[in-house]
Amino acid sequence: MTDTRFQRRRRRVPTAVCTLALALLLTACTALTPGSDTGGNGPRTVPRSTAVPDEDITLRLTFADAPVMVDALIAAFRKKHPRITIEPSYTQFADYVKNIKLSMASETAPDIAQFAVGMDDIAARGDILDLAPYRDTYGWDRDFPAANLEQLSGSGEQATTGRHLYGVPAGLSMTGIYYNKELAAKAGITGPPKTLAEFERQLAAVKEAGMTPLGVGALDSGGLHLWAALVNNMMPPRDYRDWVKGADGATIKTKETLAATDKLTEWSRKGYFNESANGTGQVDSTGQFTRGDSVFLINGNWAAGQLAQAMGDKAGFFLMPGEKPSARAVSSGFSVSYAISSRTEHPEAAGAFLDFLGSPEAAKIVVANGFLPPDAGAVPTPKGVLGEVAREHKRVTADEGMNHFPDFTAPNMLDPLRAGVQKLIAGRVSPGGYLDSLQAVWKERNGK
Amino acid sequence: MGNKWRGYLFVLPALAVYLAFAVLPALHTAYLSFFDWDGVTLGSWTGLDNYAEVFQDPGLRGSVLNALVLVVFFAFLPILMGLAMTGLLARHRRPGMAAFRLLFMLPQVVPLVAVGVTWRWLYGDDGVLNETLSGIGLGGVTRAWLGDFDWALVAVGVVGTWVLSGLCMMLFLSGVQKIDTHLYEAARLDGAGAVREFVSVTLPHLRGEIAVALTVTTVAALASFDIVYVTTGGGPGEETTVPGLLVYRLAFSDGKVGLASALGVVLSLLILVLVYVINRLSRDER
Repeated sequence: MTDTRFQRRRRRVPTAVCTLALALLLTACTALTPGSDTGGNGPRTVPRSTAVPDEDITLRLTFADAPVMVDALIAAFRKKHPRITIEPSYTQFADYVKNIKLSMASETAPDIAQFAVGMDDIAARGDILDLAPYRDTYGWDRDFPAANLEQLSGSGEQATTGRHLYGVPAGLSMTGIYYNKELAAKAGITGPPKTLAEFERQLAAVKEAGMTPLGVGALDSGGLHLWAALVNNMMPPRDYRDWVKGADGATIKTKETLAATDKLTEWSRKGYFNESANGTGQVDSTGQFTRGDSVFLINGNWAAGQLAQAMGDKAGFFLMPGEKPSARAVSSGFSVSYAISSRTEHPEAAGAFLDFLGSPEAAKIVVANGFLPPDAGAVPTPKGVLGEVAREHKRVTADEGMNHFPDFTAPNMLDPLRAGVQKLIAGRVSPGGYLDSLQAVWKERNGK
Repeated sequence: MGNKWRGYLFVLPALAVYLAFAVLPALHTAYLSFFDWDGVTLGSWTGLDNYAEVFQDPGLRGSVLNALVLVVFFAFLPILMGLAMTGLLARHRRPGMAAFRLLFMLPQVVPLVAVGVTWRWLYGDDGVLNETLSGIGLGGVTRAWLGDFDWALVAVGVVGTWVLSGLCMMLFLSGVQKIDTHLYEAARLDGAGAVREFVSVTLPHLRGEIAVALTVTTVAALASFDIVYVTTGGGPGEETTVPGLLVYRLAFSDGKVGLASALGVVLSLLILVLVYVINRLSRDER
């Protein structure tokens, strides 16, 4: 009898401790709510003054793209502002986009950070500064293409309440179609197509000649670039941009996008893509293109340097053509751009660096590193395929035809796009079903 | 009383480390699973909503099914291969055994990311597998294995089989060395052949090792991440998406930390149940 009672009492101790711990946990609940230690202050704007104080200043810059270019830009900037030191810190892109929201919300946030998907959210929280006053004082509207600044002006409510600006672009990017001039000639193709219909005739001619028409690296992003290129030219850009920005009532399921998506599945059915598109990464599809495995290739300007080196004058570039020869030149693209932390003590110095990105000196560095310069007039047009990319980019800029990549719609849009296009290529989903799945993700984010 | 508690003092350092780095994070994850939280801004309490979504969302459920398919390739096949190789290698000691063992152990030594990259090349369009198939006149069945809706999961599974077979073989070989050689002699005197010897002597004595191998490999299958992340990223479509990949994606790309935590908790519970069943079944009934 004593024995059992002793055992029972012994068992009661841990139970009591557990109950106490649970009670503590529950009473402390409000403080324990995740995220409660990082209260946002709401949107914040840079001070009106752009005057850099005359003192020794050190700025920390965190980024994920083009380390060589960043080093060169910093060195050139230092020549103009000897008292401002910029300490760069490089993180691989995949890790960068995973961590940037957290590091910008921390007390030790860097002064300048490369802009990434999700920055709109932390702008709304006030972790990065609205640069609109600097834009007006420095005249950035003049130095940078309007479409690229618009891409940095926030989404949802931000986009509709006044003209905000959360970053400044250094190098620009753009997608399009490369072609192998030598192989194309064998299929009787003499030059870039003027319309979408002509491009389809060229694809058919290549197929007829026994070659693979279009190389697509759909294992990662190549498939969504192709889909976006078709949507860019078949859906009115204004509707598309409303969708990306999360405007009320916007939808990706329209007559035009259904036709565009249907075109992609039709091309796949007709065997226009490399047979293993779904198992080929973009880098691999580019390698295959240089070896003559396909006549056309969907990719971006970032591949131009490699192609120029490997293929010389054999490589050409054009934008996915519109339905009419007179159609507006539209493409997908973004920029390597930089934002300023609201925790910086030197917004003026950081602003001076961003302003420097629009200068002719910066443009030269940007071009040397394979990106398109914000101010195309500042540098001579390069030769070969790089020149063709630059010329097509000027056309897009003139037509204000630069669209956001579709994955900028929501942080979790990339995977449905990638997986969805793979299914379209394999005929595992209907165009309507694919667009529905994208719209569901959009709705979850925008709640409309 | 003092004496009784003194023993715990020795356990304390290990216990503290275990509590701080395993138990508390696990409890914290379970706690987070009751919130709708993006990882940065203020979260809000949602009770069991995340769990409801784990069980209702077809994408999340599908990923668990994919992981169960992988159990075949990560656990059953490696154990069969390991047993077969043990049967071949254990009966007689021959020179060069150490080299064999090292060879089969190599996949365990190579980092899984490197394994994934290597296999991506092997499976590639003009990779070794397709070249070999074409070479022996099977050009008709070549394909981009990792991009094929019907074959991608199998292709990923085979990578797991390759990695884990060596581990199983090592476990079984070391188990065989503990078996009393008299038993083999007795069996041979009774006229048992190689197969009979393996079934009647080796296999029963490896019961414990098989249970360990099954536990380790099943956990590897259900918690798989690296191989899938590197080879297919979950594609094509969602054919090779596994829970481990989704936990990572939901928490860090999609900003759904609560849902990711709930999926993690469900996955852990599933693994615990399976491990319990395995251990229950393999226990000696005496």
